[in-house]
Amino acid sequence: MKTDIILSGVGGQGILSIAAVIGEAALEEGLFMKQAEVHGMSQRGGDVQSNLRISDKPIASDLIPVGGANLIISLEPMESLRYLPYLKADGWLVTNSEPFVNIPNYPDMDKVNAELDKLPHKVVLDVEKIAKELGSPRAANIVMLGAATPFIGIEYNKIQDGIRRIFGRKGDEIVDMNLNALAAGYDVAKKYL
Amino acid sequence: MKKNLFLGDEAIAQGALDAGISGVYSYPGTPSTEITEYIQNAPTAKERKIHTHWCTNEKTALEAALGMSYAGKRSLSCMKHVGLNVAADAFMNAAMSGINGGMIIISADDPSMHSSQNEQDNRVYGNFAMIPMLEPSNQQEAYDMIYDGFDLSERLGYPILLRITTRLAHSRSGVVTRQGKDMKSLSYPEDGRQRFILLPAIARRRFKTLIAKQEEFIKTSEESPYNKYFDAPDKKLGIITSGIGFNYLSENFPDGFKNPVLKIAQYPLPRKMVKRLADECDEILVIEEGFPVIESELKGLPGYGLKIHGRLDGTFDRDGELNPDLVSKALGISVKQIYEIPPVVEMRPPALCQGCGHRDMYEALNEVLKEYENPKVFSDIGCYTLGALPPFRAIDTCIDMGASVTMAKGASDAGCFPAVAVIGDSTFTHSGMTGLLDCVNENSNVVIVISDNETTAMTGGQDSAGTGRIESICQGIGVDPAHIRVVVPLKKNFEEMKNVIREEINYPGVSVVIPRRECIQTLKRKKKK
Repeated sequence: MKTDIILSGVGGQGILSIAAVIGEAALEEGLFMKQAEVHGMSQRGGDVQSNLRISDKPIASDLIPVGGANLIISLEPMESLRYLPYLKADGWLVTNSEPFVNIPNYPDMDKVNAELDKLPHKVVLDVEKIAKELGSPRAANIVMLGAATPFIGIEYNKIQDGIRRIFGRKGDEIVDMNLNALAAGYDVAKKYL
Repeated sequence: MKKNLFLGDEAIAQGALDAGISGVYSYPGTPSTEITEYIQNAPTAKERKIHTHWCTNEKTALEAALGMSYAGKRSLSCMKHVGLNVAADAFMNAAMSGINGGMIIISADDPSMHSSQNEQDNRVYGNFAMIPMLEPSNQQEAYDMIYDGFDLSERLGYPILLRITTRLAHSRSGVVTRQGKDMKSLSYPEDGRQRFILLPAIARRRFKTLIAKQEEFIKTSEESPYNKYFDAPDKKLGIITSGIGFNYLSENFPDGFKNPVLKIAQYPLPRKMVKRLADECDEILVIEEGFPVIESELKGLPGYGLKIHGRLDGTFDRDGELNPDLVSKALGISVKQIYEIPPVVEMRPPALCQGCGHRDMYEALNEVLKEYENPKVFSDIGCYTLGALPPFRAIDTCIDMGASVTMAKGASDAGCFPAVAVIGDSTFTHSGMTGLLDCVNENSNVVIVISDNETTAMTGGQDSAGTGRIESICQGIGVDPAHIRVVVPLKKNFEEMKNVIREEINYPGVSVVIPRRECIQTLKRKKKK
């Protein structure tokens, strides 16, 4: 088992909270993992990414080679495209559909969507809208995680356990909210399989 | 064995705690900050009353760490690569005195300049000071090297430089920890005055001692469990690698190396191991993150007639970070890229946060400076450096910590008007204060804007050494209190800010303008709690 994941977004969107749940689930499974993060200047509204690698064998490089990623998980559609050179031919791209516009020259969304349409394996969903419909707008990241779960290589119930452990100290209400968000994202992704 | 998921920085921190340090002395700087933060938040640090308070700058930090070592206890000092420039005087001379309690200096280098103004490789400093160095490849090694490194430092009698790079500092992996050691008790060096008073007569002896020690340092490297020789059948090429470069090499050979590989993790270079590789192989490829430090030293060895490939012959670029793909290319292994970045993707540079006080400060400053023919704004290292980017385009320089004040002074001496410095509160106390004294002593015609957000914001909101005392510090340095002006950078105060800035530009002497409003990131975090 070996899954290489690129997480992307804009500084402050919270890609690392997605990585934290996957990492927790992977360690509990006894898997090896490496996760390279970006700290510092780019966190101020710039493009950010994290390389997350999980495997049942020891992992050498902290960075994923070009053409090596099984999965791109992105909280922002244009940012998902920035990392396409890392995607395998049969890799999946799971992205939020709603743009985060903080630059004056943000491209026309039709053009961004046209690029996404070209990809053979993708899930595009509006995670903020789904999270709001659930009454928990702050769980948009976990909706995204749910949509990516079929491609991670860790069983759905293990990801659920990861959420229980990470959010457990915040109380049952928060845990349930995140489990619902996970299920809602997962339901969307299943339609693409 | 239970594994802890640690950043490289956190592995170092836990290693130092378990090695029984009595103090960590640091100034924040990406990618080193999380080491000290981890220790500050560790229950052990509170139980053991370990010193964890941030220092004013890297020089005060390293000197305090040396003082703690002098008193027999183990100390750690952490900084980013350019921080060691600030601490270089103390660093070079700690190699002359040697240590008493074990002492490790962490240099977190930033190749490719993710968050820095240069990509200097501080292994050069280690060689310059002629002290042993450690360079881990992964989080577990980082932990183990620190855990054992204090013993090594004490055995050799010298400080040790441990070098990591951004990718290790900010990458997480599982780490197995060991039994925590006791802290050392107070004890002074018996020969202290013969080592720590670097009067010329003593310093000359100390330098001879340091030179004589080099053989022992090399022998220690040769015996180090971290320097590893992997034999393999194809001797046409031998590979020497270190640090994170080893990981990228291994990524390309999941089933074992085809060529002999020497992994360097402890310096000075283990001569015998290098010689073995050089003797057995036709050519050598050097894969190292940063400057061609190993490569240059190999090229300097006479008589080998070896072909050496690396950053000096163009096999790798001279600048920038390595990655698995660059290493593949150097090894002649093809990279399987399927997709390109679509042209629709635009750059998304970092920016000042919405609602940040620096924004209001720059808006007012830009408006006022339009009234002058050729204003220059000398800026500094911090979030406000982002004032260089649109929509502000407000600054003309950013060189090093504190340089805003002194460059404004020099330019003013040359006739520049208005000469404005923009510096943050933490950077001001780090190394702007001494420059302000130069300005006061000559009554230079400068306006020093200390944009005070009451924190060290860029690195994530650490305490700032002068919070609440910026005006009194400026007064103490000798700035006329009538020309120390505090404003609140908010839209509603825009006209007042403009008036204050204009008045102080027109005053022919040293002015300090302090726009003060708390960093919105630290404010948000406080509200969450």
